[in-house]
Amino acid sequence: MSSADDITERVRGVMADLFQVDRAAVGLESSRETIPDWDSANHLTLVLALEEDFGVTFDVGEIETMLSLQDIVAVLLGKT
Amino acid sequence: MTEAATKRAPASPGARGLREAVTSAVGNGSLWQAVQAARLLLEADSGAGTLRFLSRLVQGTPQTKLALREVRVGLLSSFSIEFARDALVALGLASGLRIEIYQAPFGSFRQEILDSASGLYAFAPHAVVLAVESGAWLPMDAPQGASADALLAEVASLAAKFRARSSAALLCHNIPLPRWPAPTVAVDAPSLDDLSFVTACNAGLRMLAAESADFYVVDYAALVNRVGHDRWFDDRMRLYARAPVAQANYAVLAREYVKFARGLVGLTRKCLVVDLDNTLWGGILGEDGIDGVRLGADYPGSAFVEFQHFLARLQARGVILAIASKNNPGDVEQMFSQHPFMVLKAESFSSRQVGWQPKSESLMAIARDLNIGLEHIVFVDDSTFECEHVREALPEVTVIQLPAEPADYVSAISRDGWFDALSLSSEDRRRGELYKQRDLAESIRSTASNLEDFYRQLGMEITIAPVNDASRKRTAQLTQKTNQFNVTTRRYTEAEIERIQSDPLWTVCTVAVRDKFGDNGIVGVILAVERGDALEIDTLLLSCRVIGRTVETAMLACLCDVARRRGCSKIVGSILPTDKNAPVRDLFRRHGFQDRGSNATSAGAWELALSRGAIAYPPWFRLEISEVLTPASNEGQHRSVQR
Repeated sequence: MSSADDITERVRGVMADLFQVDRAAVGLESSRETIPDWDSANHLTLVLALEEDFGVTFDVGEIETMLSLQDIVAVLLGKT
Repeated sequence: MTEAATKRAPASPGARGLREAVTSAVGNGSLWQAVQAARLLLEADSGAGTLRFLSRLVQGTPQTKLALREVRVGLLSSFSIEFARDALVALGLASGLRIEIYQAPFGSFRQEILDSASGLYAFAPHAVVLAVESGAWLPMDAPQGASADALLAEVASLAAKFRARSSAALLCHNIPLPRWPAPTVAVDAPSLDDLSFVTACNAGLRMLAAESADFYVVDYAALVNRVGHDRWFDDRMRLYARAPVAQANYAVLAREYVKFARGLVGLTRKCLVVDLDNTLWGGILGEDGIDGVRLGADYPGSAFVEFQHFLARLQARGVILAIASKNNPGDVEQMFSQHPFMVLKAESFSSRQVGWQPKSESLMAIARDLNIGLEHIVFVDDSTFECEHVREALPEVTVIQLPAEPADYVSAISRDGWFDALSLSSEDRRRGELYKQRDLAESIRSTASNLEDFYRQLGMEITIAPVNDASRKRTAQLTQKTNQFNVTTRRYTEAEIERIQSDPLWTVCTVAVRDKFGDNGIVGVILAVERGDALEIDTLLLSCRVIGRTVETAMLACLCDVARRRGCSKIVGSILPTDKNAPVRDLFRRHGFQDRGSNATSAGAWELALSRGAIAYPPWFRLEISEVLTPASNEGQHRSVQR
């Protein structure tokens, strides 16, 4: 579909949108520890928003590993 | 255009600009600009990011900054409903509401209702959603094909316990058909038939709603049906996170709740103003002529015929129709009277503004004509220019721009349910007709040489009676939606009315008015309470369709009688000023009440000592006053006086 950089930027956009933070504040290492709003309910909201945005479906195993921007991009790369 | 499939375009340039527009309107405290900008943003992008953005914006804006109408909603559910929260607050903003949410942990709906010390009751909700799946109503070990009666008994019992503790509206989900119904080939075993079970449950819930005050059915089955089972549900999330509804559909569900919230605070829209060219028919009447416009048995004319039928059904439900069109009045008259496929007649429209003036002026004329607020008007037009113009000039008006495809017109108007009322009274069904009668009355007014002659010519008959089972719904409805001639604008639910009615200190009555043009039905409400030697006016309101006919004087005369009967020496009242109630502001002053000089909004700021002379019924009314509302000396005789 597209390069790792493109995917990273798109995910960054979705995350910034949902956690209401600046795009610049979302780094590759950003995770549930560093973003206060990233709780378990918001994790699902994020994952489902990504599904809609990328037109993919994650299985529960994947959902549970998507714990940082880097991890999310890795899962998405595996699907494209 | 399907609502669940709206493509998510996070932070697209358009959506970014629209977000800035909302933020800036909120920053300026411009209520209707903010509401309208939120609506436009949601039309452009209703993804999770937008919903979160709007929801945070509302939560971060104090009530003093933006005068949204507050509605407190309790969410009780058998599944994770928190995914609906952002959508509920965001869509509330787009309707002029500040929705505050109390959410109980899923599955705790019984405890929340049964425990009078629960968080739900402490939250003091205006409305409580009962989003419970059929499986959660019945015990886990219920036999397969458990009877609908068992489920209904459970719902009724919980609803009764709730009602004993709260007068909030209860919004109960009905039950969707199962996605994979059990095989029903064995037609001789109806107890095992999923479909009959669901049908019986939903019919029973409707019955319960009809019999109980402020119990409403959220037609969840219809939502699932419209979106489709396969797209509505997400089995993976149901099992993993107890979130059975696919993410995008939580907004569809929230929109349904918002309709109820609008109804509770009187923001249900009352009037639909339509354009004519490319709206009621295809093409331009002035250019294509009667024979050239598209309206008939074949597409695209068939789409316009269907749209007209849809408008006729709205009218039958009590929505007032009006026209704002740039056209030659003669052409339009001819179209209405001669085109064989016109479903609507010129008389279907209670106000017709056909000419070359700007549409904003037409809309203001319609609002004046019908005596309704701009915020109760929905304006529909195919032209981007006209829609933009009206949004800009009259932000209170709800503007719907029609899609290019005429076959989608009905969906475009139905989607947000702007006209979905909590209940339909017989007055609603006749409203269009009543407004027409009012127009006739206006024309008499312009010929009557003076006001008293006008009142006499109207031949008015006024009936004042205690609220009864038949009039309670209408009474609550009037308190919920009357904004202009309303001294305190206190909103009451049916359950609350029923409660104060049972208190002997309260007088709770309705006012109905007939005149030579017809029966206006119940148009006024009086709620008053005896406090010591004073009779305090809690609520005194009059529908705008009978403002300016001295009905209010008759209502105050009635209160004087009630005060005497109760042995009170004075009547006290207050005006709580709102944006809308200018017409009622001088009510007490012009009826001889003394300003006690205290804080103008405090209870009993105005006082009328009965020793100084009571207010008399104006002589032009024929009176039908229930005897319990007359002075004790008249007891035993029904007062029916022709003066």
